[in-house]
Amino acid sequence: MRNFLAKTVAIGAIATLALTGCGSGRDGDSDSGSAGSAKGFAADSLIGVALPSKTSENWVLAGDLFTNGLKEAGFKSDVQYAGASTTVADQQAQITAMVTKGAKVIVIGATDAAQLSTQVAAAHAAGAKVIAYDRLITGTPDLDYYVAFDNFKVGQLQGQALLDGMKAKKPNGPYNIELFSGSPDDNNAGVFFNGAMSVLKPEIDKGNVVVASKQTDVKQTAIQGWKAEGAQARMDQLLTSTYGGNKALDGVLSPNDTLARAIITSIKGAGKPIPVVTGQDSEVESVKSIMAGEQYMTINKDTRNLVKQTIAMIQALQKGDKPEINDTKSYNNGSKVVDTYLLPPVAVTKANAAEAYANDPKLGPLTK
Amino acid sequence: MSRFKDLQKNLFGGTTSNARQFGMIATLVGIVLIFQIWTNGLTLRSDNLIALFNQNSYILILAIGMLMVIVAGHIDLSVGSVAAFTGILVAKSMAEWDLPWPAAIVFGLVIGAAIGAWQGFWVAYIGVPAFIVTLAGMLLFRGGNQYIGNANTIPVPEGFRKIGSGFLPEVGPSTGYNNLTLLLGLAACLAVIWRELQSRKTRREMDADPAPMWISILRMAVMVGVIVFASLRFASGRVGTSFPISGIILVALVLAYSFYTRNTAGGRHIYAVGGNSRAAELSGVKLKRVNFFVMMNMSILAALAGMIFVARSAASGPQDGNGWELDAIAAVFIGGAAVSGGIGTISGSIVGGLVMAVLNNGLQLQGVGTDKVQIIKGLVLLLAVALDVYNKRQGRFSIIGSLTRGLRRDTPSGAPPSSSDAGREPARTTVSG
Repeated sequence: MRNFLAKTVAIGAIATLALTGCGSGRDGDSDSGSAGSAKGFAADSLIGVALPSKTSENWVLAGDLFTNGLKEAGFKSDVQYAGASTTVADQQAQITAMVTKGAKVIVIGATDAAQLSTQVAAAHAAGAKVIAYDRLITGTPDLDYYVAFDNFKVGQLQGQALLDGMKAKKPNGPYNIELFSGSPDDNNAGVFFNGAMSVLKPEIDKGNVVVASKQTDVKQTAIQGWKAEGAQARMDQLLTSTYGGNKALDGVLSPNDTLARAIITSIKGAGKPIPVVTGQDSEVESVKSIMAGEQYMTINKDTRNLVKQTIAMIQALQKGDKPEINDTKSYNNGSKVVDTYLLPPVAVTKANAAEAYANDPKLGPLTK
Repeated sequence: MSRFKDLQKNLFGGTTSNARQFGMIATLVGIVLIFQIWTNGLTLRSDNLIALFNQNSYILILAIGMLMVIVAGHIDLSVGSVAAFTGILVAKSMAEWDLPWPAAIVFGLVIGAAIGAWQGFWVAYIGVPAFIVTLAGMLLFRGGNQYIGNANTIPVPEGFRKIGSGFLPEVGPSTGYNNLTLLLGLAACLAVIWRELQSRKTRREMDADPAPMWISILRMAVMVGVIVFASLRFASGRVGTSFPISGIILVALVLAYSFYTRNTAGGRHIYAVGGNSRAAELSGVKLKRVNFFVMMNMSILAALAGMIFVARSAASGPQDGNGWELDAIAAVFIGGAAVSGGIGTISGSIVGGLVMAVLNNGLQLQGVGTDKVQIIKGLVLLLAVALDVYNKRQGRFSIIGSLTRGLRRDTPSGAPPSSSDAGREPARTTVSG
């Protein structure tokens, strides 16, 4: 009797809950996204921006620019940085949260190019457009656009500047150089390196330029996590193993400013004359270093322009137009060729620094 | 009042030691409701619930193993590195040696078992503290991950991704819901009811007092209600989504390990070892074997968690596993485990992990940055454990009651200082001695 009572009540409970729950089927949220995106979306929609952890000035600046720029353009924005240690998992969760909140466009500066395809697919399925910002996201057919500086060009400019700089110091070769490249989990690192090698390789083959340590493979030259201490340690080891005695080191290809300064620190510590060292990103300390005649060059990739271009793309998507792109061939992410807008980078040496940073409130004064 | 206590005791099957767990469940419900209101209903929306499980199942799986390690009086700092090491080997085995993905999963579990045997050997048979062994393991296997992977990110094939980001297929008639998820929910409801009726029957057969009928019904109604609500939510996501496969793996593991730790001799031995290892050994518990088992088991679960994360991320990368050990340890302690070992439950740890997960998710939905999220999580961990320690010292759950009691106890000890020298005397001797 008691058992019977219990069963009846329990079954009754299930039935009631099941019936009341039926009202919220899956029809509601399944088609809202895809139908809306064809004709643009509301002008005050939410735009999500997921950036890597705050390890370089550039990302902090980009975050501020996005927050202000999207607000000015009339959008609601959600700008997020990944945490310091759990970067990939954080970014995955942040992107998912943006999808849940109904963001119409999600801009992603990926921490790891290959580990976001599940989240990008979910965003796409929910009807959001995904723009890869500065770093290409690989292995997903659901990425819509890619906006970046022309990174192959960056490498070419670095390679060319290295050759020019060495020639200015010492008219005739052969020149001894060493090669450094960026973090292997950053898709750009390889592009920079290949760009630079496209300029250097012919000279190396001619024997005019010599990589004295013979470490030319990208696996040997890579610095995990773009960490300064990694570059410094590797340069220390190269100096000990290869440049003992009076052997001259004429140039070092460094992919960015942080590594360039670490390399210069190492060379100074060994008491050697500072060779021609390349860089990238126009960090404050490096611009000072260039003006002081230590680091030879850097690349100016004005974050302002990149953010401005991204917001212009978002505005085009909002109206339902196709955003402006200028490259439909070069960026294959392993699943598709991604429509890309490339901005041109500028090489900066002591000679043209004042001109290059004329509009920059922070760097401009340093060049005077 | 007595009726409420009765309810609390019977509803959550507990005595005083479960009061804390009851508190944690209440906290979880509270946090969910707060975020549900604050995010305008986003928290309990089906896609968010699905994402919540997808994002956290690997941490919760780690928490299961970590609970057993901590109950046994150890700690495991190496889980993140073990997960990353297994992840890269499994990804490589599929990318370069063309291992089919089911074989790769087995391969991953075998690696986990081998690593676990290595760590268990040092802990149980050599007697090196687990803190040191696993600190070494953390470095060893992190290095191994970088060495084998060359710090590259290696993608995994589609089939393998199922265990981390896959869903149940859509079968049967179109009901507007995912049918398999509904069936799972129905099975869970039936299991709950069957278990309740079974326990009543057992108690009657043993001539014990079964709980009053209305309490049984209320308990069943609450559980069935939660399950029905959850399964309807999980079943009503976007077409193609359902209760996630990683969630199913998690639930299966929780059920299996809960049964093991509560109802089997082997499971109870872990508690005995953590409570008082000498006494346990003298009572015939094979100390070394228990220690070896918990360490090995932890690494196997870490390997599984690593594979699920790799599957979810579609690739194994050099950053995998960073900081996971801390998340898992935090979940266990928030869930009421004792730092000294011997106390804690699997379900408590899962609740603890869910508290952190909901907090994380809710704050992210609100657009709170990771810096602040970390600060908040740190404070929650500290407060949860502080409350536990405080309650244990007071021996009672009511904070106000214990406060007044503390005052009353202070007065008599403060009364004698009529001779203030005598009051200070003992203090001086302890300092000099």
